[in-house]
Amino acid sequence: MSSVHRIRTVYQKELIDILRDRRTLIAMIVVPIVLYPLLMVGSLQAVSIQAASLDEEKYTIGVVGRDQQNLLEYMLQWDAKLVSQEKMADENAESDSDDKKDAAPLVDLVKIIPIKTQEALQINIRERAIHVGIVFNSNEFLKAIDQQNGVTILSDKAEVRGQYVTGRLQDMFERLSNRLVEQRKQRAALPTYFDQPFAIEYVNLSAPQSILGQILPLILILMTITGAIYPAIDLTAGERERGTLESLMVCPVPVIDLVVGKFLVVTTVAIMGATLNLASVTATVYFGGFDMLIATSGQGLPLATMLLILVCLIPFAVLMSAMMLAVCSFARTFKEAQNYVTPVILAALLPGGMAALPAARLEGVMLVLPVGNMVLLSRELLLGAPVPVGHLLTVLFSTTLYAGAAVAIAAALFGKESVVFADTGSLKTLLSRKLFKPTRLPSVAMSLLYVSLLFPAWFFVQSALSPGPNENAVGLLQTSAWLMPLMFVLMPILIMAFWKVGVKHALSFRVPSIRHLSAAILLGLCMWVPAHELNLIQFQLLGMPQAVAAQAESIAATLQALPIVGVILLIAIIPAVCEELLFRGFLMGGLSGAARKWPAILASAAIFGVFHFLIFKFIVTATLGVMLGYLCWQSRSIWPAIIAHALHNSLAVISVVSPTTFERLGIRLEDGAHLPWTVLFIGCGAVVMGFVMVGKRSPSQPQAAIVTA
Amino acid sequence: MDMVIADNLVKTFPAPDGKEKRAVDGLTFRVGEGQIYGLLGPNGAGKTTSLRMLSGLMAPTSGGAMLAGYDVATQPQEVKRVLGFLTANTGLYQRLTPRELLVYFAQLHGMNKLEAFDKADHLIEWLGLTDFAALRCGALSTGQKQRVNIARALIADPPILIMDEPTLGLDVLSNRIILEYIKRERDRGKTIILSTHYLDEAEDMCDNIGLIYDGTLVAEGTLESLRASTDEQRLSNIFLKIIHASEKVEAAIA
Repeated sequence: MSSVHRIRTVYQKELIDILRDRRTLIAMIVVPIVLYPLLMVGSLQAVSIQAASLDEEKYTIGVVGRDQQNLLEYMLQWDAKLVSQEKMADENAESDSDDKKDAAPLVDLVKIIPIKTQEALQINIRERAIHVGIVFNSNEFLKAIDQQNGVTILSDKAEVRGQYVTGRLQDMFERLSNRLVEQRKQRAALPTYFDQPFAIEYVNLSAPQSILGQILPLILILMTITGAIYPAIDLTAGERERGTLESLMVCPVPVIDLVVGKFLVVTTVAIMGATLNLASVTATVYFGGFDMLIATSGQGLPLATMLLILVCLIPFAVLMSAMMLAVCSFARTFKEAQNYVTPVILAALLPGGMAALPAARLEGVMLVLPVGNMVLLSRELLLGAPVPVGHLLTVLFSTTLYAGAAVAIAAALFGKESVVFADTGSLKTLLSRKLFKPTRLPSVAMSLLYVSLLFPAWFFVQSALSPGPNENAVGLLQTSAWLMPLMFVLMPILIMAFWKVGVKHALSFRVPSIRHLSAAILLGLCMWVPAHELNLIQFQLLGMPQAVAAQAESIAATLQALPIVGVILLIAIIPAVCEELLFRGFLMGGLSGAARKWPAILASAAIFGVFHFLIFKFIVTATLGVMLGYLCWQSRSIWPAIIAHALHNSLAVISVVSPTTFERLGIRLEDGAHLPWTVLFIGCGAVVMGFVMVGKRSPSQPQAAIVTA
Repeated sequence: MDMVIADNLVKTFPAPDGKEKRAVDGLTFRVGEGQIYGLLGPNGAGKTTSLRMLSGLMAPTSGGAMLAGYDVATQPQEVKRVLGFLTANTGLYQRLTPRELLVYFAQLHGMNKLEAFDKADHLIEWLGLTDFAALRCGALSTGQKQRVNIARALIADPPILIMDEPTLGLDVLSNRIILEYIKRERDRGKTIILSTHYLDEAEDMCDNIGLIYDGTLVAEGTLESLRASTDEQRLSNIFLKIIHASEKVEAAIA
């Protein structure tokens, strides 16, 4: 039975099983369909009822003395008159501005109480006996018309009614001052624009941003997580707790197939749940008449955008489900799983929240920040911002990489002895070194997890090191050349040493045959020919961003000033060695434990391509990755791949640093020009010959002295 | 041909005090084709751990095992194909019916959907599960559940069956039904390892008996040979006598 068939069997069974669970149905259907409308209608009504009730309540304002009481009453009356005049003028001009209901004039809402002293006034406010206190600095207030008059408004900021009256009073004073200014200008025969040297009008051309677009991505995270939690726990820890795991583990089915089937179910349920949630919110907002409230653009809820969100949701649900499954595979009981899930949710909310900040942009490290990049991408799409294809692909590729690593971890943990059987000892045994058995290859989970952690880290290093316009590129390149052996080679070796993986075998340090060595040299010298042509095709398809082209030119100029041997060492040899050890050694070695030849070669080549962060170079780097992967696989040695890679890189460096070398050979590498037919023919022919020479796979070495207990 | 070979199996667990506990300590035995081998002993003697190592669920600390000629350590998938394993305290998927459950496991054993339905229906009839084959497993009685579990272990018609405490917690009637199933499978030529701590129920079931105590095999042989060597009739008395003897020896050494 094929893997696909087995995964489908597991998928169908688990989906039926989980959908028959009342708890799933409640979380997935009842909650969104009943709860959201209730919550939304309820809370919105509560808000509007409260707002309306504030307009109708009675308020008390305290003043010091009866004179000031009269003064305030006079002002309130005057203001009421001004308001009604304004309204009449409005109605004559435009009769359609009646959508907002007018609150009753303030004078009808307030009761003014004279109080003896200002201290007593303050105490009354503190005790909430009155809402607001007003102190005028003079009883003769409005008569001294050319002077400035002091008004002190006292209120308790924590008290909503006091705030309401204060706001209304502010409006009143604004209207009265405007009126007084008019009068003063008339008296002094000043023009009406006297106090307005600039008549400024702001014209906003941007599409009105909706609150929905800002907050929906974050709500989306929560919905997807909520959808994934229950099935993830039920399908892993639940299986263990109900005692069905052992029966499953004695079936002749590879664990990875079980885990992939389960993972697809969790993803499906997460997407179904989030879809229902989203549909319910949309329907509530749309049919409940709240769309104007939520979408400030005034054009209502963008229904088409909702579909777009759904599409964004899929890679998102994939990542969340994989993470949940990995965490829950570690747990033995439902309760334990719930405890493990909480920190994961928090960990996902942190980058999600960071990305939800209004200032965050989909660029730089944000492109590869797990979860955060998806939040930003969906927001950009929602707000209709243009997203470059490269960015889109980077987000999707990195998310896929993280999800793949999480699934591999889930597979490594699921059914692990110390997780299945409580009596095998504590979970600490998973990390206690003396219990590890020596192995010849790193596990898939180990290599994928390390590579996906390295991915954002290396991206960060690259962007931190990429030279600014006036920076010295040499120092930065040197730093990069130091960090690469550390991050690409030393760390994997340490990790493997800790887990007792035979480093020598895992990284294929074995002497290759003469045949493979000569094939490697031939390939290394000629691969640039097809690579060059592929590059041209790719540029025609995707185009090269101006900034990248300019940067490449400036780097080329810097490099030309340096000794050529140093340059080759720094940017050709060291990266070649490090990349081969990481991608063809550590990563492909790990993948080969679980996958057959071509899946292992293709997956490691694709990740190798993504690691170059330049999406318009992906086809070329991935193709090179496939060639080098094949070379390494057939020869069972890392050396041919290192040699071919180093030669290829060196030729590329030479072509940049000293183009004359190639010209002397009659080859002109102008921008965008195809190679002469003769060169193309010979080069491609040599590559084909190289692969013919690679030929059959070397016989595997006799098992090294690994003690099998 | 010996269908099951356990060769010096050892399993140590890290104990809470930082030392190691030897749950199984050098277990060696062989089971011939078509035989029922009774691995008998009290709770905590190491029966379940031994059977888990035999089935490949647990990696032995040292030693090895062969099932139908396949090495458990290096050919786990082949071993799983020749083995039906009924684990102790095993559960069922509560929200599936016995029929759906059997179809699922049949498919996991590589049958296509049609074959899986045929196989499931055949087993339902063969083991008399018809009355409750369409109910949810969560609604079944303990005895019914165990009968479904046995059906699950038989789904691929494997030549070797390992039954860990198949009658645990069952009433007399269900107990009898399960034991009848096991005998019937032996008569069909299957090799069966039966573990139980109900010693006397094993008396008329097993062709060969291994008595396990504290992780080691303290006696092995047919019921007759055990009776002859101990002068006892009931298996429980035989066991107690042997334990007593070995403890006396230990005390003498100490």
